[in-house]
Amino acid sequence: MSDQKTREITYLEAVREAMVQEMRSDPDVFLMGEDIGVYGGAFGVSQGMLDEFGPERIRETPISEEAIAGAATGAAMMGMRPIIEIMFMDFLTLAMDQLANQAAKIRFMFGGQTSVPLVCRAPAGSGTGAAAQHCQSLEAWLVHAPGIKVVAPSTPYDAKGLLVTSIRDNNPVFFMEHKLLYRTKGQVPEDLYSIPFGQAEVKRPGRDLTVIAYSNMVVRALEAAEILAVENIEIEVVDLRTLKPLDEATLIASVCKTGRVLIVHEAPLTGGFGGELAALIAGGEAFDFLDAPIRRLAGLDIPIPYNRTLERATVPQVEDIVAAARILAKEGK
Amino acid sequence: MAYEVILPKVDMVMETGTFVEWLKQEGQQVVKGEPLFTILTDKAAIEIESPASGILAGVSAKPNDVIPVSETIAYILAPGEQQPERRRSAIATRKTNKTAISVVPAETSAGAVVVEPTANPTTPTGKVRASPLARRMAAELGLNLDTLSGRGPRGRIQRADVVAAAETRATIRPSGMSALKIPLPDARRKEVIPLTGPRKIIAERMAYSAATAPHITLSLYVDMSEATHLRASLLEKIEESTGQRLSFTAILVRAVAAVLPRHPFINASFNGDEIICWEDVHLGIATSLKDYLIVPVIHQAQTKNLEQLVVALADLVERARSHRLSPAEMSGSTFTISNLGMFGIESFTAIINPPESAILGVGKIDKRQTEGEDGLVLKPMMNLTLSADHRVIDGVAAAGFLSELKATLENPYLLL
Repeated sequence: MSDQKTREITYLEAVREAMVQEMRSDPDVFLMGEDIGVYGGAFGVSQGMLDEFGPERIRETPISEEAIAGAATGAAMMGMRPIIEIMFMDFLTLAMDQLANQAAKIRFMFGGQTSVPLVCRAPAGSGTGAAAQHCQSLEAWLVHAPGIKVVAPSTPYDAKGLLVTSIRDNNPVFFMEHKLLYRTKGQVPEDLYSIPFGQAEVKRPGRDLTVIAYSNMVVRALEAAEILAVENIEIEVVDLRTLKPLDEATLIASVCKTGRVLIVHEAPLTGGFGGELAALIAGGEAFDFLDAPIRRLAGLDIPIPYNRTLERATVPQVEDIVAAARILAKEGK
Repeated sequence: MAYEVILPKVDMVMETGTFVEWLKQEGQQVVKGEPLFTILTDKAAIEIESPASGILAGVSAKPNDVIPVSETIAYILAPGEQQPERRRSAIATRKTNKTAISVVPAETSAGAVVVEPTANPTTPTGKVRASPLARRMAAELGLNLDTLSGRGPRGRIQRADVVAAAETRATIRPSGMSALKIPLPDARRKEVIPLTGPRKIIAERMAYSAATAPHITLSLYVDMSEATHLRASLLEKIEESTGQRLSFTAILVRAVAAVLPRHPFINASFNGDEIICWEDVHLGIATSLKDYLIVPVIHQAQTKNLEQLVVALADLVERARSHRLSPAEMSGSTFTISNLGMFGIESFTAIINPPESAILGVGKIDKRQTEGEDGLVLKPMMNLTLSADHRVIDGVAAAGFLSELKATLENPYLLL
């Protein structure tokens, strides 16, 4: 990467750039979704793409998530590499039969005679005042469906590299884009590059405590780390980047190093991916290195309120991570 | 009625004992007063007598179990009697010697949720609360979690507690007995003896003493001619009155007990930021047993005459060799005499037995050439080597004691 030219762009631009560059190099790649053409997508991710690629490859659809996912699954079986955009992750529920029962299973049902190289992208998460039906983080639904990979990058660099890998993968991939990340900026190479799945990244090393996060919570954990560093509490922030496949080795190594772990996600606590991570840590190599109970900081088990103050109180904020990490880091010391 | 056999408290400060072995088997008939089992305290292996007559049943203690004082380890039943259900309270006392610190579970302020286990801290689980890391580290360091207290929530033992305990131990054992790993020879092993009980205590205390007390040693020869005469003339008389033979050790003990009160720093203890000079002379007599060394103590030796000392010595040594000394009789000495003369040793340097500040090493009585009134003559001479803690005792003070002891032994009639 060192000899590549990089410049600062937003996460949203990084997602778009990955799609554009892959579409330029691979004629089988196309984008399908609601309002993605003239309007440029609900958040503007596909702005300008209609002009470059035309309506054949930037395909506007009716308001039917099941039809989008079903058509994409069929196209993928026929050799295309569709990217579909679900306008809000909440609407994934409508596409779930096609994704979980068809796209994720067809390769297995037909003994490997066909595969489904499909990418489903969707903006997720709260923080925009979009209320209970437009703010959810449903990644746990997807990791629970064998046959589909789940990617949740937290930086523009990771977004571009992981989306390229997602498009090139021969199996269904769900690509989670947090709405609040779209406007975040970072250095991204101009050229195409890919980041392999199953490689978590230590975004900040620390000795006292491991914070495991993904997507927007990585950003908040890093902010919390700055605040805690002033108090001489050094937290290590591990960004999963891909939930499935999961990089167990990096997690375990970090927990073995610090002995304490706080798992942070925006999705509700109950049934959340954090439970899976906690069980994995407690049940494996890291157990003997745990010096305090595994802690989870997650969203409340309630529909996300429309009221902005209440919305804020529903999911972990920087100050919540600071408070939880501080308590955990000091426990028994 | 079923009689509970408990782990007895044989020492004031004893909290647990290590079970060694049953001397009777389950189902066997036992008679009150018969040796029933052996335990190991920090000081010695002790045989415990059966508290009742009957049939030994419900045996729960196994060799090497560390058992809290007063815990029921078996029952003695009348013939045909059923073993009672084990008392819960007795079992619950196991491993709960520590202070449980009650800490309110942590909560974060905002709406986000931290899941905190809400186990009732008052529920006696009978198990030590310790983090997995603390358990592993304690096991690696050979630390008993029962002996640690935790600063974590509800008294949980965590890494910091184990580290602190290890550091404390390191100061007690500054030679770093477990820290320094020296490669072992590549040789066939005949036997491997675990470091437990008295051997462990000896190892710890001697290493502690050698490393913390700056030892100075002073040595001189004592002309034992007069002491030999004294012994010869008193031998029969004392044997008549006490049934015991008067030994040179007894004469030496009497001399040391008589001289020590005039040398307060020799009969003293270095106690951190103070030096305690003892009024009493509790004389420790280093005594070797089959496997280890113990130091039976003649308490207030300064108040005893030669006959009393002869009796006390004989009794202590005899009971020491048959493992019948109480822990109190094996601890609390203020000065120790170690005599290896009977093994032909001419002189040796002993390690101070902490918290004492000096120890006397005694060699054999040997005919040596010395300058007498008519030139060189052969005289029965004995080497005395005093090891002294220089933090407490300066060379001159040690020399003063040793020369007065020499003068006393060379004119022993003053002792009578």
